[in-house]
This record gives sequence, structure tokens and C-alpha cells, in this order.
Amino acid sequence: MNIGARVAIVLAMGLGTALALGQSDSAARSVLNGAAVEYLYPEQVTVAAGKASDIELHFRIAQGLHINSHAPKDESLIPTTFSIPDGLGVRLDRINYPDGKEFTLPLDPENKLSVYTDEFVIQARIVAEAGNHLVEAKLHYQACDKSVCLPPKTITVAIDVIGK
Amino acid sequence: MKRNSLVLIAVLFIFATFAWAGWANFEYRKQAADRLLASAAKGELVVDAAGEAPEYVSSLTGKAAPTFSLEDLSGNKVSLGSYKGKAVLVNFWATWCAPCKIETPWLVELRDQYASQGFEILGISSEGDGVGRDDKAAWEKQKAAIAKSAQQMHMQYPVLMDGDSISDKWGGLDELPMSFFVDRSGKVVAVQMGLTSKADIEGNIKKALGN
Repeated sequence: MNIGARVAIVLAMGLGTALALGQSDSAARSVLNGAAVEYLYPEQVTVAAGKASDIELHFRIAQGLHINSHAPKDESLIPTTFSIPDGLGVRLDRINYPDGKEFTLPLDPENKLSVYTDEFVIQARIVAEAGNHLVEAKLHYQACDKSVCLPPKTITVAIDVIGK
Repeated sequence: MKRNSLVLIAVLFIFATFAWAGWANFEYRKQAADRLLASAAKGELVVDAAGEAPEYVSSLTGKAAPTFSLEDLSGNKVSLGSYKGKAVLVNFWATWCAPCKIETPWLVELRDQYASQGFEILGISSEGDGVGRDDKAAWEKQKAAIAKSAQQMHMQYPVLMDGDSISDKWGGLDELPMSFFVDRSGKVVAVQMGLTSKADIEGNIKKALGN
């Protein structure tokens, strides 16, 4: 390996380390006042009118946080739930939530929680009437990090559903 | 000679990059702390130039604790003012808060340990769901859930409901658990956000007791 390549590797490693240090836990803290969960996609789906159709809804959880899965192990914890209000021309026929990942708080390693972190996908089977429907579905969740919990929250999941 | 120069340039570049990252990190944290402070009369995350983990500092520290009168699980009104002369830990928690479930047994033990010195805990449930006294069915359901949690965690101290109704006066309570340590004169002497350690809590109890 020539000297130029070595220098390039050293520079890349130094830059990567420095950027990682610079971001540290500030990302987790920055969401304490904002939404812990963001809906990613799809913004629009086209389905056969009157027929059950499967769609996948993608969400992202802010770095450093987790939310309870749909089936938390402790009944007092708030499960993540997805719903579509009535009267929007689109009906939720069936829903499959992903399995939660096991997670333990550092100060309570014996107690295993079932949570979602990073990105997760909800599989929904919907039935849409013919026409264009701007569906404002709801995702209800409750987020925490390793030492703090945020109040439960409901976000709007906007999807343009076209029934053809 | 050419090789030495390249190495020197590389080392200088790495130092410069670390310095830039440190400065950017400090600025980012400072801005985050400023935003938190501006959002309400609440605490802020304070960081030092070394970029250590932010420490929660409340604007209530050193001031008279905000007054309140809330229902306990028996339906009796309980006010903070009636505890004047005692050191009080005002602990905001929720039934769905996993870190609170770790902290509460510590609080139970510390209350037993320091009660004889004039120490009390008021555990205020802040469920964050907007349920108030006007929705009787939801209120009773919530009361049952809080009572169940209190029983499971052996909370022998007063457990009060509807902390959400006083959250603005106490800084917003956007995060739980949140603990305010009030001294015998009714002044907030320390505030803790989130799960820390039993030793931290005990240290602040001693501060509130004037030990």
C-alpha cells in the first residue's frame, strides 16, 4: 500500500470517529420535545376497489428511544396501536404488528421489555371504496429511553388511498 | 521528507476534525438546552464545554415550591402546604413508566429510612392522557389502575391523582420520572429528571432535610 493510500485511510478513520463523537447522545435528547415516531411511507397506495389489499406501513423511531411493541409483557405498559377512523372510505380489515425485540433497562436487567426500535413495519389489510381517499390513520404509542419516559402520544399517518 | 510531511498533515487534519466535532457538539447541545428553556418555565439541560452528559437544571430550584391540592386514592384532598415543616419529595410518576417502577422501590425504602427525621413523599400520578374528574368512568378506571400499581409497589406514602392538572406550574413534566425535593420551609432545593440512582435520591433527601 503506498503512502497516499495510508494517509487516506487514517484521514477517513479520524473523520468517522470525530463525527460519531460529535453526535453522541444529543440526538436522543433532541427528541424529548418532539415526535418520537415518524411515519415514513407509503404516502400513496392504489388498490382494487372493494377488495382486501395488503399494504406495508413503515415507521422510524428517533435514535436512542424505544416504544412498546403491540404486545408489551407488562399489562400496565401502553401497546403501540394503529387504527383508521370510520367514515373515510377505507376500512381496516386486518392488521399484523411486528414482534417486539427484547430490551432491558440497565438498572433492571431481569425485567425484559418488548419494544420497537429504529424502524418497524406494520402490515395492514385494507378495503377501499372506489375513488380517492385521504386517510388520516392514527398510531398511538408511548416512548422511553433508558432513564426517562415521554407521555403517550398519537400521531397522524396520512395516506392517499386510491381505490380503482 | 515527503512522507513526513504527509504524516504531519494527516495528524493536523485529525486534530482539526476532532476540534471541529467537539465545538459542533457543544453548540448543538447548547442550542438544545436553550430551546428547552424557552419552551416553558421549566428546567433545562445544561452542558459544560467538555461536552459531558447534560444535567437537568430546573428554574424552580431555590424557589418556593408551587402549591397544589390533589385527590388521593381515597378521594381526600391533599395539599403540599399541609406538609410545611417537613422535607418532602414530590415525585411525579405514571403507571406506564418503566423507569418509575425501578425507582419507586428505592423511594419506599428511603421513606422508611428518613420518615423519623420528618421526611415524606408525595407520589403524584401523571398519566398524560387528559383524563379529568369530569369523565367519571375514565377517572374511576384510572384510579383503579393507579391503586393497583401503588399496591404492587408497596407505596405506603400518599399517592395523588391528576398530576397533569398541575404540570405547567411544575415545569411541564414532559419526562417521567421527575422528582422535586422540597425543604422544611417549602423551598425546592433539588430536582431530578429521569432514573438516576438511589444514592442520588438519598443525597437530595438529606439536602431537603438540612442534614
